[in-house]
Amino acid sequence: MLNSIAYITASSYLAAGLTIGLGAIGAALGEGYAAGLANESISYKPKMSGELLKNMLVGQAIAESAAIFALVVAILLLFAQPSSGSPIVAWSAIGAGLAMGLAAIGSGIGAGSPAGKACLAIVHQPSEKSRIMTTMLVGSAVCQTPAIFGMVISFLLMFMDFSSAPLYPAGAALLGAGLATGLAAIGSGLGSGLPAGAACLGIARQPKSGDKTMTTMLVGSAVCQTPAIFGIVISFLLIFMDFSSVPPYPGWAALLGAGLATGLAAIGSGVGNGFTAMEAVSGTARNPECNSETNRVMLIGMSVGQSTAIYGFLVSLLLVFTKMEPSTSLTSCLRLLGAGISSGFGGIGPGIGLGIVAASAVRWVARRPSSTVALIRTMLVGMAVTESTAIYALIVALLLLFVL
Amino acid sequence: MDEFTHIPQLTLHLFGFNLVFNTETIMMTWVVMGILIVFGFLATRKISFIPNPFQVVGELFVTAFYDLTSDALDEEMAKKYFPIICSLFMFLLLCNYLGIIPKLSEPTKDLNTPLSLGILGFVIAHYSGIKAKGFKKYAKEYFEPIFFMAPLNIIGELAKVVSISFRLYGNVIGGSIIILVVSHLIYSVALPPFMVVFFGIFVGGIQAFVFTMLTLVYISLQVK
Amino acid sequence: MDIAGPDFIKGLSFLGAGLAMGFGAIGPGIGEGFAAGKACEAIGRKPEEAGLLTRTMLVGQAVSESTGIYSLVVALLLLFVV
Repeated sequence: MLNSIAYITASSYLAAGLTIGLGAIGAALGEGYAAGLANESISYKPKMSGELLKNMLVGQAIAESAAIFALVVAILLLFAQPSSGSPIVAWSAIGAGLAMGLAAIGSGIGAGSPAGKACLAIVHQPSEKSRIMTTMLVGSAVCQTPAIFGMVISFLLMFMDFSSAPLYPAGAALLGAGLATGLAAIGSGLGSGLPAGAACLGIARQPKSGDKTMTTMLVGSAVCQTPAIFGIVISFLLIFMDFSSVPPYPGWAALLGAGLATGLAAIGSGVGNGFTAMEAVSGTARNPECNSETNRVMLIGMSVGQSTAIYGFLVSLLLVFTKMEPSTSLTSCLRLLGAGISSGFGGIGPGIGLGIVAASAVRWVARRPSSTVALIRTMLVGMAVTESTAIYALIVALLLLFVL
Repeated sequence: MDEFTHIPQLTLHLFGFNLVFNTETIMMTWVVMGILIVFGFLATRKISFIPNPFQVVGELFVTAFYDLTSDALDEEMAKKYFPIICSLFMFLLLCNYLGIIPKLSEPTKDLNTPLSLGILGFVIAHYSGIKAKGFKKYAKEYFEPIFFMAPLNIIGELAKVVSISFRLYGNVIGGSIIILVVSHLIYSVALPPFMVVFFGIFVGGIQAFVFTMLTLVYISLQVK
Repeated sequence: MDIAGPDFIKGLSFLGAGLAMGFGAIGPGIGEGFAAGKACEAIGRKPEEAGLLTRTMLVGQAVSESTGIYSLVVALLLLFVV
C-alpha cells in the first residue's frame, strides 16, 4: 500500500508542524507578559522609559530562544529527512517533534516572567538596575535548560539509526521517549521562572541581601530542574533499551505508558517546586539572617514535593522492566497504557498542591523563624494528606500492572 | 538546504588513526585569535592618561567584568578568576560577530566550540571547588539533602554543561537558519538586513554574555 | 479508502500546516492581549504619557508576534514549498 518513504516523509512534515505550533505558544505568552509589566512600570516612572525598554527587550530575547530551538528542529524535520529507512523513523520523527514542541512551552513562559518582574523591580529601585538585569539574565538562562533537554532528545531521535529495531514496540517506545522529556520539561520550565522573577523583586526590595538572594535562587532553580531530569532519564532508557526482550504486543502499550507516566507526573512537581523556590527567594530577600533556615525548609519542601514525580518515575520503571507474556488481546495492551495514564495524570494536581503547601510554610519560616519546628510539622502532615490522591493513582496503576 | 550545518572537514590517516580536522572552524578561530592579539597589543602599547581608542575599549571591558566578577566572588579570588572570564567573553563576542561579515563564518556554528568551552568552565569550577573545600566536603555535597539524590545531583551537574553549550549553539544555528529560510521565501528583498542585525548583533552579544555569566556563577557556586 | 504515496504525503503536510498555525496562534493572541490590557491600565494611571506607552506596547507586541511569524513561515513552507 504505502512504502516506507511515504510514511517517513509524511510524518516528518506532520511533526514539523506540531513542533513549531506547540513551541510558539510559550515564548509568545512569556514575551507578552514581559511587555505588559514593562508598560505598567513605565507608567510609574516615565522618565526611565529608555532603560525599561532596553531591559524588556533583553529579557524577551532570552524567551525567544526557546522558540528558536523549536524552529531549528522544525526546519531540520522539513528538509533533512533520511531518504531510506524502516518505517520506525516515522515514529521517531513524531517523537522528536513532540519533545521539542512541548518542552518549549514551559521554558518560553518561564523565561518571560522574570523579564516583566525585573522591569517592575528597576522602577522600585533604580540604583540597582545593572544588578537586577544581571540577575534576570542568569535566572532566565537557567530557565531555558528544560528546552535544551527537549532539543537534545529531539536531535537523538532524529539522527540516531533505529533501523535494526522492530517496528512494534520500538515505535511506541520512541514516541514515549519524546513525550516523557517534552511533558516533563513544561513543568520545570514554568517552575524555574518563578524564583528568578522573585529574585529580581527581592534585590530591589533589599539590595544588601543580593548575594544570598541570588544563591537561593540558583539552588532553588537547580532543584526545580529535577523533574525534567527524571523525564530525560526515562527518555534515555526508552531510546537505548534492548527491544528484543520486550514482546511487541503488550510491549508497545507498556513503553508508551512509561513515557506518559513520568512526563505528566513531572509537570505538577515542576510547577510546585517553582512556587516553593519563589517564596524562599522572597523570604530571603525580606529577612537575610534566617537564610539557612529558609533554605533548609525549602529543600525539605521541594524534596517531598517531588514525590509525585517519583511515583510516576517508579511506575515508568516498572512498566519498562517487568517481564510480560506476548498476547494480542486488547485488554492486556490497554491495561498497561491505563496504568501509565493513571499514574501520570494523577501526579499533576497533587504536585501543584504539595508545592503550594511548601511555599506557604517557607513564606512563614522567613517571617517568623522561631516557629520553624511547628511549621515543618504542620507542613509535613498537610503534604501527607495532599498526596493521598496521588497515592490512590499509584495504587490503581499497581493494580492494573500486577493484579488484573 | 541543510548545507548550513555541514562543516568542511579534512581527514588525515596517521599510524592507523583517522584524524579529522574541521578546517573552516579552525581557520575562523585563528582569525578571531589574531584579531584579539592585535587588539591587545594596540591597546596596551603606550598606556597613557589620555588613552587612544583601543585603550578605551579595553578599559571598558576590563572594568565592567572586574565589577561583575568581584560581585560574585570576593576580592582576591576575583583577581584570580577575572582574566579567564573577561577573555572568555571577548572571545565569544568576536566569534559571534564574525558571522556578520559576508565571507566569514562564526566558529560557534560548529558544536565543538561551545561544547569545549562549556567543558572548560566545568573543569575550572570543579577543580577550584575541590581545591577550596577539600575533597571530602566537596563529595559530601552531592549527598544533600537526602543521600539517594546523589545520582540525580551528578546528572544535574552534567546537565549544566550540556545546557550552556547547547544554548549558545542553538541560538547561533537558529539565527542563520531563520535568515536563510526567510530570505529564500521573499527573494531577499528588504527584510534580511534587519534580521542580520537582530540575530547577529543583538542575540550574539546577549548569548555570549549569558554564557560568560553562567560560567562565572557556576565557579562561584563551587568555590563558596 | 485507497491511499497512494504522494497523496498521503500531501495530506499529512497540509494537516501539519494546520496544526502549526493553529497552535501557533494561541501564544501571540494571549500574550499581546495581556500587553495591551496592561498598557490601558498604565494610560489610565498617567494619561499624559499616552504616546510613550502606546509606542512601548507596540514594540513589545511586535516581539511577541515574531514567534507567530515563525509558525506562519513553517506553515507556508509546508503548503507551498514541500
